Amino acid sequence: MLDGVDVDIEPGEMVVLLGRSGSGKSTLLNLLGGIDRPDAGTVEVAGMRVHDLTERQLTHFRRRHVGFVFQFFHLIPELTGEENVLMPARLTGGGSVERGRELLGRLGLNGAAEQLPHTLSGGEQQRIAIARALVNEPDLILADEPTGNLDRAAGAAVLDTLRGVATGARSVILATHDREAATLADRVITVEDGRLRG
Amino acid sequence: MIGTATALSFGLATGFDRAVERSDLPDVVARFEARTREDVEDRVGALANVEARSLRLEIEGIGLAAPGGSSREGVVQLVPRGRRGYAVVEGADLRGEPGEVLVERGVAREWDLSVGDSLAVGRLGRVRVAGIAVSPDDVAFPLAASPRVYLPEKLLPAGFRDRGRSVNLVMLWARDPGRLDELLVQARSQSFGLENLRFTTREGVRALVDQAAGIVIALLIAFSLVALATAGVMLGASARADVQRRLETIGVMRAVGFTRAGLAGRYAGDAALVAVPAAMAGLGAGALLARGPSGRLLEILNELPPGAAVIAPLAGCLVAIVLLVVLASTWPAWRAASQPPAQILRGAELRHTARRRRTPAGPFGLGLRLALARRGRTLATAGVVAAATAVVLLMLAVASYLGRLQDDPGVIGKRYEVTAALPASSAPAVAALPGVAGAAPRYVADGIDSFALGQPVRLIAFPGDHVPFEDPPLAEGRRVANDREAEVGQGLAEALGVRPGGTLAVQLSSGAEARFRVVGIVRTVDREGRVAYVRSARVVAGDPGLEPEIAIRLEDGVDAADVRPALAELGAEPRPVGGATPRNQAFLGVLAGVLRLVALVNGLICLYVLTQALVVMAAERRSTIALLRATGARRGTIALVLAGIAAVVVALAAPLGVLAERVLLGPATARLAAGYADLPLGAGALEIGAVLVGLALLAGGATAWVARRVESEPVAAGLRER
Repeated sequence: MLDGVDVDIEPGEMVVLLGRSGSGKSTLLNLLGGIDRPDAGTVEVAGMRVHDLTERQLTHFRRRHVGFVFQFFHLIPELTGEENVLMPARLTGGGSVERGRELLGRLGLNGAAEQLPHTLSGGEQQRIAIARALVNEPDLILADEPTGNLDRAAGAAVLDTLRGVATGARSVILATHDREAATLADRVITVEDGRLRG
Repeated sequence: MIGTATALSFGLATGFDRAVERSDLPDVVARFEARTREDVEDRVGALANVEARSLRLEIEGIGLAAPGGSSREGVVQLVPRGRRGYAVVEGADLRGEPGEVLVERGVAREWDLSVGDSLAVGRLGRVRVAGIAVSPDDVAFPLAASPRVYLPEKLLPAGFRDRGRSVNLVMLWARDPGRLDELLVQARSQSFGLENLRFTTREGVRALVDQAAGIVIALLIAFSLVALATAGVMLGASARADVQRRLETIGVMRAVGFTRAGLAGRYAGDAALVAVPAAMAGLGAGALLARGPSGRLLEILNELPPGAAVIAPLAGCLVAIVLLVVLASTWPAWRAASQPPAQILRGAELRHTARRRRTPAGPFGLGLRLALARRGRTLATAGVVAAATAVVLLMLAVASYLGRLQDDPGVIGKRYEVTAALPASSAPAVAALPGVAGAAPRYVADGIDSFALGQPVRLIAFPGDHVPFEDPPLAEGRRVANDREAEVGQGLAEALGVRPGGTLAVQLSSGAEARFRVVGIVRTVDREGRVAYVRSARVVAGDPGLEPEIAIRLEDGVDAADVRPALAELGAEPRPVGGATPRNQAFLGVLAGVLRLVALVNGLICLYVLTQALVVMAAERRSTIALLRATGARRGTIALVLAGIAAVVVALAAPLGVLAERVLLGPATARLAAGYADLPLGAGALEIGAVLVGLALLAGGATAWVARRVESEPVAAGLRER
């Protein structure tokens, strides 16, 4: 799917991967996030050679360095907004209620803390997913078509939120076919038939 | 599992009839002290409704010796021409020539005898084994006390020939078996002067065999039903998860014009395609697995294996299993297809709305919530695990009871621990020994009921109150208070139709009759409850030659070894009292072993159910698990989530299973197995503890296995699902 891809992302940078469906954007995100392995080549994130890591090391890498945001949110329907946000932290026994509340507050979701996902709008659900991605304070946020399942207004709000989290040492890579998203990016990389142009 | 249970229960349920048919077992066998052939011919000739008869001599106490074993208690039956009453299962039947012997299968197996081997028979010397025979009129040696062989009639020993008394056994085949009662009444009227007359009827043997096999068959049927329920619930759950995954395909198929029935039909066809070969393989493997234990049990009961006849019930099972699989697989698709295609494509069907629940935070708490979100399935799974748990508990309880029956005299109401072969007059001296709490002469007299012909009765008699020595629970009436009264076992009361206030008239082996007024009904497993407790005065008066044994109750903390020296001084060795008679002990041991094995297999059902429940849940919540893994969950964390799911199932199943066993299965099995006695088949604390620990271990094992399996799936694949 991807062929000869070579890309460097700087800390604090928001990069948009632009391309049609099937162009290889999601595959690139999966490789960067360590949820897929390349057939050949190298993947290095935050100084770690991801392609060389064992399954156990990859798990650790994902927990410490990467946050994911998906098109279909992937919120756990049995958990409240706050519990969904804190779930990645609780995997390691951490995750205080205050931290969940603080993140939700920062993203304007105070009212969603006690709500189950199905009672929330698509935009709210996606912002909860973003809060969840941030809870372990990762270096890299990978967002795969985060606005693909939202209306225009909700999509814009989600893009604004993602723009806001790309600060300091944290980078955001956003895969989308929505050209409007490109206007918020520091850099736009076009993906076509598994090759980067940008 | 169903194949094993079906083959085993079919073999046991039909084994007696098969053996009766092959062996041409007579309707009635009468045994008595030897008489002349003419005398017996006259008596039998006067009987109506007799199609055929065989007059024989059966000699007990003959020495039999083979390289693999020997006995001084051998039984030799001299067989005339005509109908046999046994089936030759190997080799050839007797041709009437000297130098040949037919050996019963149990003897051949125990002594490792084959056709052509030689066997030493009393003074006759070595004879060649011509064939191996089976007769279902008794259990097989060594469960039967004596090894039995058949010789041609012309080998009648000179002593009998000289005295002219050449017949002590008559086999009768009734022309109309439905009128056997009349034949028995006639036979009784013709029996005047015959000593020690005992009748055995085919139906009497059947009743005893059915009683023994009935409990095993009932357990196996329960076992099969649990397996079927398990399969149904698990298949339904996995089919539902499968439909959930293929909702889009179903929506598209409906959109392009597939009818609801057509779509369900495709699912049914796919399911049948998998179910037919899988069920055939499973049933075949199960039946093969059952061949060994089933054959051994049938051999013990002197019955024959079903052979190809087992194919019919297995075919029935095949149809039932395929129907179950097809139904379980088709129903979710049929239900999903009931929605308009657009709604199906949106995933409207089978979606559920989560409810807020207060459970602990973290992976384990998430597992609890996932289980509670699927209440129906969780309850169904818990129900199946509970049923399997109840059956496991029952098997263990029965096995434990059988174990105690072997060793613990208290189980059959005996309160004395040892006996000594001493005269009745020694009882006071024995009672005065240090460590002895009480001693009394105990008489056992076997007879037949004077009214109901052929009903054997065992009288157990003590000079005074029997309760300090034998204490069977009283079901009705009161205890014996004088020499004229009797407490009758429930089995005997049912067989004779007597109740308190009735009369028990017993013809003793001496020929004398002893009569008692029935004052109580007791529940005892001893001889299937066909016993009566009386004071010894009338019994001894009727049979003065009756020798008692001294029943000895020991003080707490004293055992047989402690009283051995003192008893030796009185001239006797203490004999420890077991629960069952010594010749039944090996059988009980085998049965307990089989039940424990079945319990273990049933435990594997629990493991399968738990594993399947977790696999289905993991498949259904593939994206949730993928998300957890994407956010850094290790295998241990995923295992904790799965453990939460398993915990809900086990927490519901364990109390339900215990309750079901103690309130339903245990009492029902006890009633089925022995309506004449109180069988304590409720699982004890030890069994319950072991099963609970086992369930926890099984849940842990299932969790670990599924967590490992889940980890092998690429994270990205799970995240592609909505």
